[in-house]
Amino acid sequence: MSFKVIPKAALPDWIEQMRRSQRVVGPKPLHGQHVFGEIHGAAEIDLDYPTTVIPPKKYLFPQQEDLLTYKLDGSAPSVVQDAEPTVVLGLHTCDLHALHLLDRVFEKTHVDQPYMARRAKTTLVSIECLRPCMSHSFCKSMGTLSVTDGFDLHLTDLGDDYGVDVGTPKGAALLDGLKGVREATGDDRQRVNRIMTEKWPRFPLRLEFDVTELPSLLSVSYDSKLWDELGERCLACAMCTNVCPTCYCFNVADEVELTLTAGKRYRVWDSCQLDKFATVADGHNFRAKRGARQRHRFFRKGKYQTDAFGLLGCVGCGRCAQACLVDITPVDTWNELHRPATEGTKEAAA
Amino acid sequence: MAVRPKVAFFEFTSCEGCQLTVVDSLQTHPELLEAVEIVRFREAMSEKGDDYLIAFIEGSCTRPSDEPHLKAIRERAGVVVALGACAHLGGVNAIRNRQELSELRRYVYGDKAEWYETYPARPISAVIPVDATIPGCPIDREEFIRVVKAVLQGRAPQLPDYPVCVECKLKENVCLYLRGKTCLGPIALAGCDAICPTYGDSCEACRGLIPNPNIESLKNVLAEHGLSVEQTMAKMTMFLTYQTMESEAAAHGNGKR
Repeated sequence: MSFKVIPKAALPDWIEQMRRSQRVVGPKPLHGQHVFGEIHGAAEIDLDYPTTVIPPKKYLFPQQEDLLTYKLDGSAPSVVQDAEPTVVLGLHTCDLHALHLLDRVFEKTHVDQPYMARRAKTTLVSIECLRPCMSHSFCKSMGTLSVTDGFDLHLTDLGDDYGVDVGTPKGAALLDGLKGVREATGDDRQRVNRIMTEKWPRFPLRLEFDVTELPSLLSVSYDSKLWDELGERCLACAMCTNVCPTCYCFNVADEVELTLTAGKRYRVWDSCQLDKFATVADGHNFRAKRGARQRHRFFRKGKYQTDAFGLLGCVGCGRCAQACLVDITPVDTWNELHRPATEGTKEAAA
Repeated sequence: MAVRPKVAFFEFTSCEGCQLTVVDSLQTHPELLEAVEIVRFREAMSEKGDDYLIAFIEGSCTRPSDEPHLKAIRERAGVVVALGACAHLGGVNAIRNRQELSELRRYVYGDKAEWYETYPARPISAVIPVDATIPGCPIDREEFIRVVKAVLQGRAPQLPDYPVCVECKLKENVCLYLRGKTCLGPIALAGCDAICPTYGDSCEACRGLIPNPNIESLKNVLAEHGLSVEQTMAKMTMFLTYQTMESEAAAHGNGKR
């Protein structure tokens, strides 16, 4: 749509203005890390942040959410509709790419009503990353270092100002009536171009091959010995999937009131890395080995999602690598599979 | 309301802190008393009823004379629930299982050592069949209520079967390993809402082990974080002695209940 400029000094007014009609959430420091949380005023938000522990997908797909409530008197259950109008302010582009995938997942094949209800009430304001946020991130290799669409507004730090790429009318509406906003000039556009040119070399390419090769690399790596090695180390703690911006598996459970007259049904994040995840009727676990579970995870990220939804399942945010106590990382795993010395891939290819 | 099932509480070797948590949960969930009738509960009443459907048993079995008592409860009760880490895992009482009992008894009771019978501490499931378990030291009051609900519905309670790391990470806590500490969270059963790590303390696995824990890999992690083999073993001793001795015995081909 259009390109505008907001002076940084207008941020407090802007946040206050948005908060009049909706909840504003964004990155803020907590115990030496950053988390997405509610922003009550400009002093709380830190837009120049590394990455957050849990990605902002939690606002569209909460860790636990009630789906319906019911009474045990035969009356019809009622659907829980508690989506709150929300502005997610300051998403990194990797997390925005992850939401592109989740949009497809929750909209294609089966429309997920709770997700779609939250999505419709959410406004996404992303921000351009100008330097690597941590040593584990590999967004450049995954093609998520910038973004061209999918945002309502996209900010670029210009020093005293933010350049604002307006993506949708919903985004434009956030700026209505805000003092200090102006249309970008040719000069502003040149500032943005210069910043974009300067930022690119600051980010390392950490995959040793082009990411478009990843799905086919995995196709010939199913029988690699690497999976068993990962299985020996893996603690099956599920931290990798719980911090992942593209994981969306959940479990559904019921909870009945003590008096046994009413209850609720809720869903809660689940993980393919947990021992019981693939346990089915009669106690059979069809993915009992940790190595097989890690393989499944890396196939989901590098191949299955691409096959099913046309987008990679990994956005290179590096959260899983940061969280893992035994140093299992996508970069090391995929590079290891790509190296010609890796026996497993050769066997599988043969 | 229909007939309320009768409930009794019993204690074996334990601190009775789990029953105190039950008293506590009655304050936040007084509706519990509309759902059940308590006929025996020495923390809260003087009566001692012997007619009950549901028996909650706290404490581990630590001496021969505990066994007939446990068996009598099992015969009377329709449903037996193990209450807390001692009943579930043998609890801290099982630390002694790796030590020489006669010496230990002399250390504790001095010249009266012979007055007291004792043998290795066991969870009550090693003595009688148990229908449900509420883990933890102490138990979590919300989980106690959830288990009671399930039992009243005639269902097996669904307890978390995943590690503490899941709950800890979802709360966006700083991992204790990043704070230069060590923690049993990756192998310990969740359900406590990661309360200890949330307040900066290492998990001691009071709820026992997850299914198929990768203990060997965690030992390497602990070693990388500066723990000696002895320190690591000590860490695994607080609540896990009975479970780890059982799996050692199973690995040697002579597993026993």
